[in-house]
Amino acid sequence: MSKILVCYKWVLDEQDIRVNAADASLDLSRAKYKISDYDKNAIEEAVLLQEGQGATVDAVTFGGDAVRQSLKDLLSRGPDKVYYIADPAADKADGYVTAGVLAVAARKTGPYDLIICGEGSADAYNQQVAPRLAASLGLPAITYVQSLKLEDGRVVATRKLGDCTEVVTVEGPAVVSVVPEINKPRIPSLKQVLAAAKKPSEEIKIADLGLSPRQLAAKTVTLTVKGFVMNRKNVLFKEPAQADNVAKLAAALAKEGVC
Amino acid sequence: MPGILIFSENNAIALELVTAGLGLKATMNHSLCAVALSEADATALAAAGADKVVLLTGQDWPEGCAQPIAELAARELAAVILIGGTARGKDIAAKVANELDAGLVTEAQTIEIAEDKLQTTRLKYGGLAVACEATVLPAVVTIAPRTFDKAVAGGGQGQITSLAATGGDPRVKVSELCPIERQGVDIAAAARIVCVGRGLAKKEDLTLAEDLAKALSAEIGCTRGIAEDYHWLPVERYIGISGQNIKAELYLSLGVSGQVQHVAGIRDAKVIVAVDTNEKAPIFAAADYGIVGDLYEVAPLITAALKK
Repeated sequence: MSKILVCYKWVLDEQDIRVNAADASLDLSRAKYKISDYDKNAIEEAVLLQEGQGATVDAVTFGGDAVRQSLKDLLSRGPDKVYYIADPAADKADGYVTAGVLAVAARKTGPYDLIICGEGSADAYNQQVAPRLAASLGLPAITYVQSLKLEDGRVVATRKLGDCTEVVTVEGPAVVSVVPEINKPRIPSLKQVLAAAKKPSEEIKIADLGLSPRQLAAKTVTLTVKGFVMNRKNVLFKEPAQADNVAKLAAALAKEGVC
Repeated sequence: MPGILIFSENNAIALELVTAGLGLKATMNHSLCAVALSEADATALAAAGADKVVLLTGQDWPEGCAQPIAELAARELAAVILIGGTARGKDIAAKVANELDAGLVTEAQTIEIAEDKLQTTRLKYGGLAVACEATVLPAVVTIAPRTFDKAVAGGGQGQITSLAATGGDPRVKVSELCPIERQGVDIAAAARIVCVGRGLAKKEDLTLAEDLAKALSAEIGCTRGIAEDYHWLPVERYIGISGQNIKAELYLSLGVSGQVQHVAGIRDAKVIVAVDTNEKAPIFAAADYGIVGDLYEVAPLITAALKK
């Protein structure tokens, strides 16, 4: 039976982040965490393979302490077991550090026939962990995959590359990154949510991975993060009759010179 | 001398990287080396200002060039490696960065050298924010198409050498290369756009938007959900950070809530108009003019008003 690993990131929901107009700083106080949207497609694809051909699916994540909150949500989406590395080092990690941590973790919990990642994370969208992970593990990478098959120890994937598609076949294990159109992630059923409570989760301490301080030091550090401030007129027409609002809109557009 | 290395499998983008590379060269005083996959590309890059061009042969799959490019970068002591931000380019960049034990900045919008580090800006949180970052050298950077202007041929006389790429991965087989058909609309260049979102109940109701678009001489655009989840409109019509960025003089949305990723794609529109039932929808914060209401009532009224 095939053994699959799916990687995911627990990120702040960008829809809840507000930009303070005065200084363009970000207000994260109302933002909740979520499983990165692209990773939901990765999880769904692993679970579809699990259901279709009886694979076992492990999941792994590297994040700050908040990552512990993700376990139940993750398990209710179908994976059999989740490994998590919860460490403050994750807050400053770049793609270099994250891929390094995940590679050692995957060596420890594997070997795997297939490792699936999302094409990028919803927050940083660096799009580099999957190919870096592949390179670190000495496996072929198949990135931007829109359809995926696992057959007789082979990974067969169709990649979507902007202006073309191509089919890549890999003999033996591979690391793939999937694009959102590959599937539609399901909403966990009550039964799945209840079953999740009985599934195992296991913490891996970052100290047990044997990484050097150099391997845990980010190559890229963030200097500043500033929100986009939209300077727009924000005029809302609020007459009781929509015909009046439309008349006002038409007048405003005429004045702008666009109608 | 430590240098700047550039590569894109798409030569139009490689020429844009020459512009970015020449900008760095001015401050770093390093030579600019380009990697090309065909003789014609190599000649164009040399003429456009690359000091040196390495013509990589013997590798049909661009992704297979990651290893030879990394080796070349190591040999050239490249301090900055710029790679065109196509899907293939981003794949190659990550492998090159991993091989060089280097950092990688994805889709940098600006690049400069400050305090012996590479300083870059890039979007974060779905386009909501801009992060300024510093990366230790050597650093790999991908740059999205059209971020820089193409360098023009200016009588550059860079030296062209040939390098045979070794091997390739025997485990990997690539087949069935197939172009994606485009349906010919360039939303990014449209002067006026009527954009539909999930407020639209069914595909047949697109006629409402089409009538309005006709009255406005506008093109129809849509949100990611309409194109990728519902498949009501082709993918090249969707607007947002991962779709099209528009520069229209007028953008009018019907039933679009205004998610961060969508708003990032309409920022450069001159006038933004929104119609949505939810007064709290984020689209109104991004709009110049808004009408809170049912698009099924409001859109035909706007169409009628504009026809007058």
